[in-house]
Amino acid sequence: MSALHPTTPRFKQNVREALANPNIQSAMATSGSGFVGRRAAARAAMPEFDALRDAARDMKNHTLANLALYLERYEEEVLAAGGHVHWAETAEDARRIVLEICRNAGAKTVNKGKTMISEECGINDWLEENGIRPVETDLGEYIIQLRGEVPSHIIAPAIHVTVPEVAELFRAKHGHLAAGRNLDHASMQAEARAVLREKYFHAEVGITGANMLIAETGQSVIVTNEGNGDLSQSLPKVHIVMASLEKIVPTLEDAATVLRILARSATGQEMSVYTTFSSGPRRDTDPDGPEEYHVVLLDNGRTGMLGTDFQDMLRCIRCGACMNHCPVYQAVGGHAYGWVYPGPMGAVLTPSLIGVEQGGQLPNASTFCGRCESVCPMRIPLPKMMRHWREREFERNLSPSAVRWGLAFWTALATRPWLYRNATWVASLALRMMAMGRGRLAKIPLAGGWTDHRDFPAPQGGTFQSRWKSGRTVR
Amino acid sequence: MSARDNILARVRRAAGQGDKVAVAARLGHHRSDHAPIPVMATTEGMARIEQFMKKARAVDASVSRIASLDDLPAALAHELRSRNLPAAIRTGMDPAFERDWGTIEHSTGPGRLEEPATLSRAEFGLAETGTLLLASGARNPVTLTFLGETHFVVLDAEDIKAGFEDLWAGWRARSLDPRTVNLVTGPSRSADIGQTLQLGAHGPVALHIFVVG
Repeated sequence: MSALHPTTPRFKQNVREALANPNIQSAMATSGSGFVGRRAAARAAMPEFDALRDAARDMKNHTLANLALYLERYEEEVLAAGGHVHWAETAEDARRIVLEICRNAGAKTVNKGKTMISEECGINDWLEENGIRPVETDLGEYIIQLRGEVPSHIIAPAIHVTVPEVAELFRAKHGHLAAGRNLDHASMQAEARAVLREKYFHAEVGITGANMLIAETGQSVIVTNEGNGDLSQSLPKVHIVMASLEKIVPTLEDAATVLRILARSATGQEMSVYTTFSSGPRRDTDPDGPEEYHVVLLDNGRTGMLGTDFQDMLRCIRCGACMNHCPVYQAVGGHAYGWVYPGPMGAVLTPSLIGVEQGGQLPNASTFCGRCESVCPMRIPLPKMMRHWREREFERNLSPSAVRWGLAFWTALATRPWLYRNATWVASLALRMMAMGRGRLAKIPLAGGWTDHRDFPAPQGGTFQSRWKSGRTVR
Repeated sequence: MSARDNILARVRRAAGQGDKVAVAARLGHHRSDHAPIPVMATTEGMARIEQFMKKARAVDASVSRIASLDDLPAALAHELRSRNLPAAIRTGMDPAFERDWGTIEHSTGPGRLEEPATLSRAEFGLAETGTLLLASGARNPVTLTFLGETHFVVLDAEDIKAGFEDLWAGWRARSLDPRTVNLVTGPSRSADIGQTLQLGAHGPVALHIFVVG
């Protein structure tokens, strides 16, 4: 898959392949719990955490309600600092703008800090098609670029790759190093550090994303642990920031509110190692830093979410907590989702950005357990929005006929109490007979999705309604 | 119509014109009552300095205290020796570094490909999280913060702020306008290989802070 060629429409097939892929299963088995435990510990260590989530939600709602004013102020500040703002309505516009800046800089190599917006716009493929070499510098992004893949997690892009796979990859791709060298965690990281260190000095352009754009000061903010985003923007002569327009926050204080919940929700850190506020090009007396500073401000469907059922999604700060806590994501990994954004946030955002025709299956990939909403630092009602997408998919006749027939059948049953009572009585009797006194069923016709993986308990006693009526159930 | 006009028109159609008075107030008054102030961001006096050092150590930085900047060359020489680093340091033009470095070879300028040890001066410290605030420029080139294999930072104890609220107030009071403001919390790290945390990703492998005073 790529940004331009989502495999989202074949989501079910992707899921089957992911569940049968031993490497993905082994990587996912060891990855998820760490994030969950560390977030819980960070939350417990800060009594004000949930109140800060409320404040962050309110701040972002205020910002979205006044978005045009804040965007105008932000642009004013960037220009005053000597930077450029390029407004991009679509991914295609963003690609064109980035290429033009790179060509003007005579770029042969472009270093990249981690940016999901660049993934969304398919910048890497586009630059390569145009003879410019993009080099991903985030360690995880570097690994997946060498593998010819896209990120499977928004903050841990190579979470699906096992350690032996990384070692094999480095042996194959770092051919200038001794073939028999020992490769463990530490030496592999040192190796990537050494390989990329040289590249920082050769690139003409550095591209980073932005976790926030501050209207008050015109600064773009990146939050990283590795320092690659900073080397990518400080050493080349041109720095391009790729950001979507909902990244705006009003002031430094508002940025601090986000910082107080961002890393805690993402990795369980109180602060990520590097939080960098950039404004404009290097100052006259500066000995380092870029000579040009460009911000590509991307819409790509986001203004279409304003004022709709999906506006709340624009509060997302891309921490990844929803996918870290999602039983579906943890079972299938990020690539199965078939486009740039996986997990619950991806299930809501993808249909908004590439259309419900292509992305409509993702909102069905939820058990509606509600963990995503319960951990979301911006209190985004993700399950509610997935339900909205399911409704739209149904309204537009996009759901499979089996689902439509099933729902029609269920409606007929559920809206006729006498029929429902009798049907459940018959079903319960039938299941009991099929169980033949064993108390559980290893196989039920049409329910292979359940019984292939676990037994189905046989009904005991009467139906819920009959028990309720006879008063045996504790009320 | 330009892309800018189209986007802003769509925003205004969907979200309305916005409330100019409320926006001006938010941008102009820097009120801190929009969000709760965490207790861990309210330390004072000695407790503040101690919390800063404790939090910095918790994120794998090392910290030592010196009485004044005059003690810096000897303290730095000691640290370089104990880490088996060459007796050489690279700094910017910060006045704090205009001194007799004794046996240490002192050079100034931006970071180069190989930088075993670099030294910067922080504008502020943040006791809330053990974070340093550095401002880029000729006095403290930004590349020294990221290219040094071991990064040393000098921080005045008086510049340690309790939380973001007084950090930003202090920052605005200095009226600086650097190209980058770098908040640094420990040495660089990554868990991208097998979800196992390793120090020393692309930035420094080690971070040592001299708290002065």
